[in-house]
Amino acid sequence: MTGPEELFDSAKIKPDEAPRAFHQDLIDALRLGVISIVLLLIAAFFFSRIVHPLFALGSVEETAMDVLTRLILLALPFVAYIAAASVARRYTGADTVRALALALTCTVILFALISTGHYALDYGVFAPQPSLQMTLSQTDAGIRVDAIAPGGAAETAEIQVGDVITAIRRDPMDLQSFNRRVGQAAEGDPLRLRFIRGAEEMQETVRVVLVSDKQLGVLIPGLALGLIFTVIIVFLPGHWAPYIALVGLLSPLIVGYAWVIIATFSFRTEGLIPLDGNDNIGGFTLKNWESIFAGNISGLEFNIWPILMTTLAIAVVMTVVVLLVSSMAGYALSRMNFPGRRFFLSFTLILHGFPAITLLIPIFIVLLRLGNLPIIGDLIGFNTIGGIALVMVAFQLPLGVWLMKGFFDNIPWDMERSALIDGASRFRTYWEILLPQIRPGLLALGIFAFIGGWNAYIIPATYSIGSGVSNMPVFLNELIDETAPVDWNQVAAVGLFQLIPIFIFFIFAQEYLLNIYAGGTKGSS
Amino acid sequence: MRITIDNLTKKFGDVVGVEDLTLHIEDGEFVAFLGPSGCGKTTTLLTLAGIYKPTDGVIRFGDRVVNTVQPKDRNIGMVFQSYALYPHMTVFQNIAYPLKLKKVSKADQHDRVRQVANVMGIGNLLDRRPGQLSGGQQQRVALGRALVKEPDILLFDEPLSNLDARLRLTMRGEIKHLQKNLAITSIYVTHDQVEAMTMADRIAVMSGGHLQAFDSPDELYNRPKTQFVAGFVGNPPMNFVNVEVSQANGSYVAQAEALQLTLGAERGEPAARSDGEVVLGMRPEDIQISDAGDVAGEIFIVEPLGREDLIDVRVGPHSFIVLAGAETQYQAGDPVKLSFDMGQSQFFDPATERSLLWRQ
Repeated sequence: MTGPEELFDSAKIKPDEAPRAFHQDLIDALRLGVISIVLLLIAAFFFSRIVHPLFALGSVEETAMDVLTRLILLALPFVAYIAAASVARRYTGADTVRALALALTCTVILFALISTGHYALDYGVFAPQPSLQMTLSQTDAGIRVDAIAPGGAAETAEIQVGDVITAIRRDPMDLQSFNRRVGQAAEGDPLRLRFIRGAEEMQETVRVVLVSDKQLGVLIPGLALGLIFTVIIVFLPGHWAPYIALVGLLSPLIVGYAWVIIATFSFRTEGLIPLDGNDNIGGFTLKNWESIFAGNISGLEFNIWPILMTTLAIAVVMTVVVLLVSSMAGYALSRMNFPGRRFFLSFTLILHGFPAITLLIPIFIVLLRLGNLPIIGDLIGFNTIGGIALVMVAFQLPLGVWLMKGFFDNIPWDMERSALIDGASRFRTYWEILLPQIRPGLLALGIFAFIGGWNAYIIPATYSIGSGVSNMPVFLNELIDETAPVDWNQVAAVGLFQLIPIFIFFIFAQEYLLNIYAGGTKGSS
Repeated sequence: MRITIDNLTKKFGDVVGVEDLTLHIEDGEFVAFLGPSGCGKTTTLLTLAGIYKPTDGVIRFGDRVVNTVQPKDRNIGMVFQSYALYPHMTVFQNIAYPLKLKKVSKADQHDRVRQVANVMGIGNLLDRRPGQLSGGQQQRVALGRALVKEPDILLFDEPLSNLDARLRLTMRGEIKHLQKNLAITSIYVTHDQVEAMTMADRIAVMSGGHLQAFDSPDELYNRPKTQFVAGFVGNPPMNFVNVEVSQANGSYVAQAEALQLTLGAERGEPAARSDGEVVLGMRPEDIQISDAGDVAGEIFIVEPLGREDLIDVRVGPHSFIVLAGAETQYQAGDPVKLSFDMGQSQFFDPATERSLLWRQ
């Protein structure tokens, strides 16, 4: 039995154990469920009524607390079901019927309990919904008003029974889209309805009101969901639990990537659902990708290959230089004693903490002057790949030097001495003996540098103004800036296109990173 | 290769590693540097290897002054306590590395590595990496790597410290055997006096950066020239007690509280010459528990070692470590009589800690 499973099923009932009364287990399970509900309610109260006012001045925390509270309340019934089902899980092996009966009874009772709470507090499915307070039905001509609530919003706006609604403002509506539009409105929003009364086309503005109609019918899907959930929990193998939790926590990320990928292959998307021009599901297309290679997005003409090459050049130059300089400097700082070593170490650390953006203008001037120098200016001046790479290398180096120094510090002196005595020169020792020992470190730093260089925006954007030197992130920004309207699906395609080399890089690098190193030294230095 | 060290001093800032060390090592000799941690023995070794540059003094290999010669140009082989194998290379590549640096041809490399590996008994492990070997195998690889370039001098830095006791015993014999066969001048650093005693032709005992003695194991054991050497060489260590030696009726008597020992003129005369107290040194094996003994004491602790028991006997305010056969059944608290073999006694000046019997 694996570890997590033991944790989850700590009190599995043995088949030969004396049976307990059903109601006793039921009380146990309900108690657990109620305790978890109470705990979560306390947590929600804590976040919404105590933490929230404390941070009310900072607007970001305000929404964060809001979201947190809502998440807790959303998860509340499910946590209660899990708590109750954990009692039932004891019987899954021995007495499945009993387990199921116990869990389902609990779920129904807990659901009733929670729903009563919602009903009393106008919360959840009983929360007031935006409404125009009239009954509608779809006909060929449009949406027919069947009944109007007396004194309601529709009556106030003088809508009459028998009117046929065709549109809200200029947007043609069917019943489905009409209800969606109303559902998305806030209290007091004015909706200008176009409708036909008799043969005459008219317009009236109706203000949305919030109505809680408290129909018990809406509870059925919730109960069904709860029961299905409980059954799954009862029969879920214990060792799956960590993976399911993991997938659950990662789902925002997964959904995000899925969205981008779907978007690049669709005409347009509504959430994750790809739609064609007529709002029907479908509309898969390769035109977003074609437009990258065709070099024309929303009228902006370009050639993707030089841009890609520039990006690659910046990233590669940066990676190579950072690795070379960092490892050499790290070696010297780790192994040699020279005047100013301590100062240099602390100084690089301060440099690392220095925000790069504050140096943009001074460096701009430096690069401009460098550009005036003969020969060197063409290599590392303003508007050159070399210049951009140089600046980015400089910003990356403090981190790299420290990282490399740390890795070199961990290599025992004996190995280096041994190589020197074996007949290697100092450089050869560094190159042939020490560098292979810190390969994981080199790889980590290399990945940092490469991805940093590949995705760099602020420095390339600043030091390549108005020139042909442009990398992918800068180009991506140009797409958003200079094309109107912005075709987001094409932007997503360019973004994904930019990601491909990183993916490839990772596929190869991962194997090395996971490769656990077997050492050949033992004992102290 | 003869090694001559004259007035070697090595300082790290203000910290003294070795001071004024003079040592002449003959060609083909096996010398052990023995001393407690921090005594400067490894510093001396690394200075010989060329890792450290001497602050002062001269080191000669043969007739060549090597003070500023790079390690790679000294043609030495070194074995480290940590083995210091290159984890990213196979055993073959590890052993071949010195040859590769010497630009020996591939075919020659292959032959010589095979040959050395077979001598070391690791011929079947050449494709493995160090991480896949046991400690003993790793040490053989390290030894092979030091030997393969046919060095003039072999340096060992506590090579057996990381091995288990049994393996240490085997390797001890192998290294000694190998050194005798190849007749390479070797220096062996250790803090384990048994290793030094069993393997070395001569032992340089060091303490606090100074050379205490440089002699054969027998000399060091039987004729220790300083109290430090007497205390450091030999296991269990020598007992020391302050006594006054006086002449009476043609024989000499060493006296202390609750202790009166008669000794012959050979040892008594030089000991008595100095005024006041001297330090008497007695090895545990030179004190017997026997009813014929003339010193009364009480057993304080019994430590069984298997073959024999280590017994701490209190005589008045003094404490003596005594060896007794394992068949004896002494208990703490038992009253016993001790007999001292005064023919093996050592005497030291308490001020200078130099021997009163053996002059340097």
